Amino acid sequence: MTTIVGIKTKEGVVLASDKRASKGFFIASKDAKKIYQIDTRTAAAIAGQVSDAEYLVNLVRAQKKLMQLERGFELSVFEITKLISNAAYYGLRSYAPFLAEFIVAGVDSEPRIYSTDVSGAISPEVFTSSGSGSPIAYGVLESSYNDSLTLDEAKNIADKAVRAAMQRDPGSGDGVEIITIPLGGGQA
Amino acid sequence: MGPERYQPFFYGPEGRLVQVEYALEAVSRGSTTVGIRTDSFAIVASHVRPPRELVDPFDKIFEIDEHSGATGSGYISDMLRLVDELRLEAQQYKLTMDTPIDMYTLAKRLGQFIHEFTLYAVRLPAASIILAGADQRGVHLYQVDPSGTFSRGSAFAVGKNADKAVDFIVKSYRKDLSFDEAKKLVDQAVETAIAEKPLLQYGYVNIDTRSFVKQK
Repeated sequence: MTTIVGIKTKEGVVLASDKRASKGFFIASKDAKKIYQIDTRTAAAIAGQVSDAEYLVNLVRAQKKLMQLERGFELSVFEITKLISNAAYYGLRSYAPFLAEFIVAGVDSEPRIYSTDVSGAISPEVFTSSGSGSPIAYGVLESSYNDSLTLDEAKNIADKAVRAAMQRDPGSGDGVEIITIPLGGGQA
Repeated sequence: MGPERYQPFFYGPEGRLVQVEYALEAVSRGSTTVGIRTDSFAIVASHVRPPRELVDPFDKIFEIDEHSGATGSGYISDMLRLVDELRLEAQQYKLTMDTPIDMYTLAKRLGQFIHEFTLYAVRLPAASIILAGADQRGVHLYQVDPSGTFSRGSAFAVGKNADKAVDFIVKSYRKDLSFDEAKKLVDQAVETAIAEKPLLQYGYVNIDTRSFVKQK
């Protein structure tokens, strides 16, 4: 259940999510938090088992902090994504998989979007979606995305994509949360 | 069994680590080895004492990963063990992070490895390592000593008459040295240190390619 969307533009990145948390056919929450800030210039949107996703986010925040202190400079968005995927991969290989997918969005030397899955695979993307509403969101993304979008235009498209999914996917609904990270970092 | 049988093993009377002093003494008898860096390149060079006839000279420049290399002075077998450790750390880091290890972390990991030896009654590795490499933050040069101490800098020398070689480089070092000037400086520094024409092996790091290259 869930719809999450990430879009990369030359000006920065956008992450959007719906706010519904489901327990089977029951709406468990109408104000669920699905976008987590990892640092001032990196955030992750989650889909799947909330507890697993939250655990991975906390784990990666801690690992990231320790690594940064040890080596003395920031991790790239890819390196942060790699920390998530390492945990996911070892989870899968030890028959205790983390049942969550992530869209990691951030800005280091340039804007970046990565998606990770239960197997620990990482794929760099220009736009991506995950969750039960993603096939519907992709309809909007595929027809609206181009590589010269401004951050504001991308924000509108992300909003539209999640809202379209909310109309037709019973697992998604109850409002949209959007964050943007412009070049240079910090949340707009 | 007089009390003289219980000499302090770790600390000397002045609070210095006796084993470290001895290891450094061994290093200072090794072949003269220098490293120099600017913002765009680094050069490491080690003097190879000509062995007797019919024996091939030992290879003293070591690739660690694509972006980094090492050389050093001291007991060669000790140096080889440290180089193995560097290579292992570099690959382990790459496996978890999918990016090449940064030079600070590499130097620190070697320092931590050596530091373990200073805690126990074992023989320290009698080798000083000079590390050169290029990472996300530029070109770096490090020296790691038998105490586990590591320092970053623009010129280092270890081995026989290292202080003379350092003095020579310090006098003529400029931040805008060209590659050829720096290489000449290295040659002259070693020649001054050992007072004869040196037989040098070289390794280079370049900021543009971010790669470590062994000469020949």
